Amino acid sequence: MQPLSSARDNVTVGILALQGAFAEHQVMLQKLSLKRRVVIVLAKPVWGTCAGAILLAQAVKGAKKGGQELLGGVSITIERNGFGSQVESFEAPLEVEGLRESNRPFHGIFIRAPVVLSLEPGPTDPPIQIISRISTSLLPPGQTAVPDDEDDTDPRDPRTIVALRQGMHLLTTFHPELTKDDRFHEYFVRECVLPTLSRASSPA
Amino acid sequence: MTTPAQSQSQTPVSGIATPPVPHGVGNPSGTPVVAPTRTKDKDGASGSVGTFGVKSGLAQMLKGGVIMDVVNAEQARIAEEAGACAVMALERVPADIRANGGVARMSDPKMIKEIVDAVTIPVMAKVRIGHFVEAQILQAIGIDYIDESEVLTPADDEHHINKHPFKVPFVCGARNLGEALRRISEGAAFIRTKGEAGTGNVVEAVRHQRAVMSEIRKASVMSEEELYAYAKHTQVPYHLLKETARLKHLPVVNFAAGGIATPADAALMMQLGCDGVFVGSGIFHSGDPAKRARAIVQAVTHYNNPKILAEISEDLGEAMVGLTIDDNLKGGKLANRGS
Repeated sequence: MQPLSSARDNVTVGILALQGAFAEHQVMLQKLSLKRRVVIVLAKPVWGTCAGAILLAQAVKGAKKGGQELLGGVSITIERNGFGSQVESFEAPLEVEGLRESNRPFHGIFIRAPVVLSLEPGPTDPPIQIISRISTSLLPPGQTAVPDDEDDTDPRDPRTIVALRQGMHLLTTFHPELTKDDRFHEYFVRECVLPTLSRASSPA
Repeated sequence: MTTPAQSQSQTPVSGIATPPVPHGVGNPSGTPVVAPTRTKDKDGASGSVGTFGVKSGLAQMLKGGVIMDVVNAEQARIAEEAGACAVMALERVPADIRANGGVARMSDPKMIKEIVDAVTIPVMAKVRIGHFVEAQILQAIGIDYIDESEVLTPADDEHHINKHPFKVPFVCGARNLGEALRRISEGAAFIRTKGEAGTGNVVEAVRHQRAVMSEIRKASVMSEEELYAYAKHTQVPYHLLKETARLKHLPVVNFAAGGIATPADAALMMQLGCDGVFVGSGIFHSGDPAKRARAIVQAVTHYNNPKILAEISEDLGEAMVGLTIDDNLKGGKLANRGS
C-alpha cells in the first residue's frame, strides 16, 4: 500500500451500485483507506469489471434483443458471455503487467465472462494498453470463443485479452473483488486515478 | 464439507458406483469429478471450472436483483426488459402447480432451451429434491443455475442431491439456519427462503428469514463451546456454523422466495436482510405483469426509500389472488418438503 502514500487521502472512488458484488468492491477499496461516493462520469477514471467492462465498450455482440445501451469510453468490441454459459465459468491464474509483486500470479475468477473481439482505437483516442492475457490452455474445455486448433496461433489475438487500459479507463473481464487480493484495486487507484489528480492539482 | 452423519447418509448413493454422482454429458472426460474446493488465492493453480468460487460468485452477481419465474420465451423477454437479473424457466408457476395437483417434475428441456435462447441473463431451472439425474440433464443443456426445489414433488424424501460434483451451481430453499447450512454442506452455492410458494402470501418467507437471521445473531455471540453444542443441536457442520457466526451472514448469498407478490413484499424481505428476491407466481398471475415486474425490480433497488416505494406501488393493477396458509391449503405446505 506504500505507493499510494498520502495522495490517497483526497481520492474518492465511486461505485456504480446497481446489482452484483458492489459490496465486495467497497470492502476492497476501504482496505485501501479511500473515501467512496457514487460518481460515474466518463471524463473521470472508470474501471469496469465483467458486465462493467461491457458497459465501457463502444460496441457489444450478443446483447439482448433490441440492443443494449452502453456508456462507451473504451474503443473495443466485446461479446457477452463469450465463453459460454455458467458451466463454462472458470478460475485461472493470470500474469498481470504493472501489478504490485507482479511475479505473483493474480487469481482470475471468470463468471459468464465477456470476450474482447477487437481493438479499434481511433486516431485521436489514447492508445490501448494490454495488461493481461490468458493462456489458451487455461480456458474451460467446453468454451467456443477461441477454437482449440488456434492454441498456438497469433499471440495478438484479442480474444485472449482479459485486462486492458485505455487512458484512464480500466477494463477487466474477470472479478478481482471476489478474491482476497487487493492488488487490482490498488493498481486502478495508482495507475488510473492518482495521475489525473496530480494533473488537476499541478499549477496551470 | 460433510459431517459424519451426512457422509453416512450418502453412502447408498456413492455405494452404487464411483464416481458417486456422475457428471452430465456437459463434462468432457478430463474434468475431475472430485468436489472442487472454494477459491484459493494460491500461486500457480491451473484453470478450473465448476469451483465453489465461480458457483457462489454468480450468485454474488445477482445480489440486489429479482429472479422471475417464466413459462415461455415471451415472458422471459418481459422479465429481461423489466430488469430481472435472472429468470427461472418452468412449465407451471407454483400457483398452477398448487391448483392442478399431481406430480410436478423438471420442465421439458426443449422449453428451457427456448428460454435460454430468448434472453442474455442467466437462466435457472428447477429439479425435484434428490433427483440428481434431472440435474445432470439440466447441466448437459447448459443451464446457468439449478433450483433443487420443494415446489416440485420430491423424488427422494431422505436425501438431497450431492451438489459438489456438478459444474452447474445450485440454489436451495431453507426455513432456518440448520437447513441452510445443511444445504451449503451438500454443495449449494446460494440459499433462498422457502416461504410458501404459489400463495401470494409472504408470511412464511418472513418467518423463515427472521428465523435464519435470529439464529445467526445468536450464534455470533456464542463461545466456542456453545458453538459446538449449537452445531450438534442444529445438525450442521461446525466449521460452517463458525464461519457464519464470524461473518454474521450466511457464507453464501441469501434471497427471499415463496409468496412475494408486491413491491412492498420485496422491500420487506430486503429490509429483513435478504440479498435479493425470487418472484414466482406473483408477476405473471397479476393484472399487468410488465409493470409489476418493473416495480418489483425498482423496489429491490430502493428498498429503504418509502417515498420511491410509494410511487412505484401506484396503479399496478390487480395483484395475484392470495391464499391463507392453514391446514386446508390446497396443494399442502410445500415448505415442509426436504429438511
